[in-house]
Amino acid sequence: MTRLERRYRAMLRFYPAGYRDAHGDELLDVLLETAEPGRTLPAARECAGLVAGGVQARVRANTRTNPWWDGLHLGLTAIMVAQAAAFLPYTGSVPIWTALSLAALLAVLRGHHLIALPLVALTGVKAFTISDGQQFFELTLLPVYPDLLTDQPLFRSTTPFAVSATYVLVAVGLIALASRRAGHVRSGWWLALVPALAWMGPEWMDRDLGYPLSLSRLILEAALLGAGVWAGYLARDPRWALGGALYLVAVSTEMAQHLSDLTGQHLGYWGLLGFMTFAAAAVPYRQRRHALD
Amino acid sequence: MPRDAAAMSEQTYYVLAALLDGPLHGHAILKRVAALTHDRVVLAVGTLYGALDRLAAHGVIVVEREEVVNGRRRRYFRITPEGSGLVAAEARRMQQAAALVTSRTLGAICAF
Repeated sequence: MTRLERRYRAMLRFYPAGYRDAHGDELLDVLLETAEPGRTLPAARECAGLVAGGVQARVRANTRTNPWWDGLHLGLTAIMVAQAAAFLPYTGSVPIWTALSLAALLAVLRGHHLIALPLVALTGVKAFTISDGQQFFELTLLPVYPDLLTDQPLFRSTTPFAVSATYVLVAVGLIALASRRAGHVRSGWWLALVPALAWMGPEWMDRDLGYPLSLSRLILEAALLGAGVWAGYLARDPRWALGGALYLVAVSTEMAQHLSDLTGQHLGYWGLLGFMTFAAAAVPYRQRRHALD
Repeated sequence: MPRDAAAMSEQTYYVLAALLDGPLHGHAILKRVAALTHDRVVLAVGTLYGALDRLAAHGVIVVEREEVVNGRRRRYFRITPEGSGLVAAEARRMQQAAALVTSRTLGAICAF
């Protein structure tokens, strides 16, 4: 295998595995046949074409299921990442609940909604009781202080209503998904977002505020919603908008509990997520430039 | 689609035009498009296969057959009657659009 072939093979990883298995060798054949003799580095325009083609193939591969049910699964996954991220910095104090929260997320990622449901119910009750200053199942020293990633006590700036509302939303959604018996599966990379979302991030807002926001979280959420807007644009599909809208409901429930404490930064954050969700909902219905687009 | 807008992009037009003479595989399509346009349109491989997948999904081309060359599969694409109709309609539209200008400029040159 030449150096150029090895490099083009690496570039083909932008395509989904199924596409690579079916057509990877065919693309590689054409890439090598069109390369100038003696070339060892892939041409820049070919690299750009492979990245764009690979991303489009991945987006198309994700649009073979029902968009509304898959959008529901996507939204629940995003909320459950946030729920697991809420527990992660306190693993030393509440290891069982962090593990259960991660197990519920993993079950949903593998499409096992009925297994996830009791795990969500249990962690939801525990989260509610901690935020309400009560005890459930095991004695927990309150407030729960973090071991890593943040300096805020667990659920310090969250109301019991907002905590329970998101868990109820997830539970209802899981019951709906379980009733269809259709297993939606997502990439294990979603687990990698848990620590990223848990990190309080660089100094941005006054930590003594009633409801401080994390800059790193804002950037991550905006990046994911931006990817959803782009995917919706390419595939003309509303599933990413539905997923974003569900996540926005969870964020808005939280924001609504702090209406009197909101600063311009809060409103900017809320507005940004709202605008990007609206954009994700609008782009699938954009006018076609060409009939064959 | 907006009224009077092109039914297809320039790249799509030339890919379909390349297939009018018969089924071709990916590399041959690239060479035919470059030859038809005197090297003005040179498609990247990823771009070509993205277009071929999209056109196949629209039913304007189909995979005619597969061959194995040097141990690698190679698909031959054929334009469908619907695809031929679309590319012919696009050619007429461009011809009419060009005539709007050429009839006047040629008229002005002749009046000289």
